[in-house]
Amino acid sequence: MNTHPIEQEELMTYLDGELPADRAGAAAGHLDRCRECQSLAADLQGVSRRLMEWQVEPVSQEISAALATALQKLEPPKPTRKIPRWTWALAATALVAMLAIPSFQLASRRQKVEMMTDQIDAVTPHRKFPAPVPPTAGDAVLTAPMIARTAELTLTTNEFDKARASLEDILKRHSGYLGQLNVNAPAGAGRTLDATLRIPANQRDAAIAEVKKLGRVEAESQTGEEVTAQYVDLEARLSNARNTEQRLTEMLRERTGKLADVLAVEEAVSRVRGEIEQMEAEKKNLTKRVEFLTLQVRIAEDYRAQLHLAPDSILERFRNAAIQGYRFMVEGVVALVMFLLSYGPSLLIWAAILFFPARFAYRKLRRITVAAR
Amino acid sequence: MTSVSQPRIPGNFFAARDITVIDGQFLDMISDEALMLEFQGGSRQAFEELFARYREPLYGFFRRRLESKERADDLTQETFLAVIRATSRYQPQALVRTYLYSIALKLLAVERRRDRRTDPTPPPDAVGSALENSLWVRQALEKLDAQEREILMLREYEQLSYSEVADLLRIPVNTVRSRLFRARMALKDHLDPQPSRDREGANK
Repeated sequence: MNTHPIEQEELMTYLDGELPADRAGAAAGHLDRCRECQSLAADLQGVSRRLMEWQVEPVSQEISAALATALQKLEPPKPTRKIPRWTWALAATALVAMLAIPSFQLASRRQKVEMMTDQIDAVTPHRKFPAPVPPTAGDAVLTAPMIARTAELTLTTNEFDKARASLEDILKRHSGYLGQLNVNAPAGAGRTLDATLRIPANQRDAAIAEVKKLGRVEAESQTGEEVTAQYVDLEARLSNARNTEQRLTEMLRERTGKLADVLAVEEAVSRVRGEIEQMEAEKKNLTKRVEFLTLQVRIAEDYRAQLHLAPDSILERFRNAAIQGYRFMVEGVVALVMFLLSYGPSLLIWAAILFFPARFAYRKLRRITVAAR
Repeated sequence: MTSVSQPRIPGNFFAARDITVIDGQFLDMISDEALMLEFQGGSRQAFEELFARYREPLYGFFRRRLESKERADDLTQETFLAVIRATSRYQPQALVRTYLYSIALKLLAVERRRDRRTDPTPPPDAVGSALENSLWVRQALEKLDAQEREILMLREYEQLSYSEVADLLRIPVNTVRSRLFRARMALKDHLDPQPSRDREGANK
């Protein structure tokens, strides 16, 4: 027995799944090679199997009166129960919230006033920097309704290049950014520019006013979508999902169970994770829509038709004609060769087949005409 | 002491509660310990879930250790009754499983003591009838030393880990291991009297 790197007891521990991982590897390796230990393992497993022959009949489903009454007494939770610690935490949170909300509202009112002055400032053309950060979405939930605004402007101008340059200038001044920009310059018509601009919500009026100055306004529309409810709902769902995720991971960490259970929990975790990410993206998108105005601008150039009257020179035309003639000739030859190549073989066959009947008919005809003469 | 689970924070309690409320399908994923804490907070649903999980195992525990089917059932229910009565005594540091079996072991000890007082010689034959096919196993187990038998049974039938057995019987884990090994070897010899190893060993 001394030659075994693991003791018999240790082998049993390994079979019971109780050996620490660092020893388990050695045990498994040894068990693979050692006949003696294999037979011991078989014995131990045999004992366990034999023991399993003793199965107990299922328990009757009756519940004793004592347990039933005890259960009934359980129904209303005891009033003398000591107040759990988290209740205090909850109460404290509620108190803080009650104190905090009015001050939040005050703060936001102040902010709104600031926003308005900003907008007034923004109209004056030489503002250095249009700074104040738009109210974050979190505050907005508590205070003002959240509105996602979009605007569309269609302009025509005869100074297309200038309009485009000033559009970029406007963006820069209002710290907006360009979502998309397409410029079309078709041959027989004026150029058009389609752009999607994102402009901080608190500067939208100033920015729109400035964009309007770029040309003649042909169409203008503005829409505002109230998304407060959507946002609050999203927040709630998000925090629920986060809680669920946390619980699941805790469960995964703390509860040892069947493999199937563990796998089920893991699957649930990854599903919830996916949902959270999706909702976070949605939330970010929503916040962005509220904080930034989406301005669709279409600028069309007044088209001025241009007359092309530069005639080609005679030499040029001769040259073109010569080239065309040469091309026609080559193409004709190529076409003929191609025709012969593709139809030649079958033509030959038909000629061979029809030659003798044709000759026969021809001769007969000639004999008749000769006879008739 | 190795069987002590991670310290539980109040958040875990919330967790269990929320899951039960949000969607019931998660109920079977809540750990025993979380259920127990929730039950301590007054949830009957949590208790019923625990009852459902442990009724059969506990009944098996008593049934294999007692002659009478009815007494086994009674004691199973008494175990849960004890849980209800001593709701506050459960410490979150212990596994619910260990806690339940420790109550069961105490009830069993009381029961055995009473049996011995009232009826010192239990009829050895009264057990058999329904369990013929396991008779050999049962007889072989009878021949084992009492504590070795208990360790073996807790391990095989109750599927407890070494450390849980050690906690329950208040003996070191190493002792559990060596006695378990001895019990298994002895049982093998009882079940399978054709001697192989032992004879050889004795001859040498």
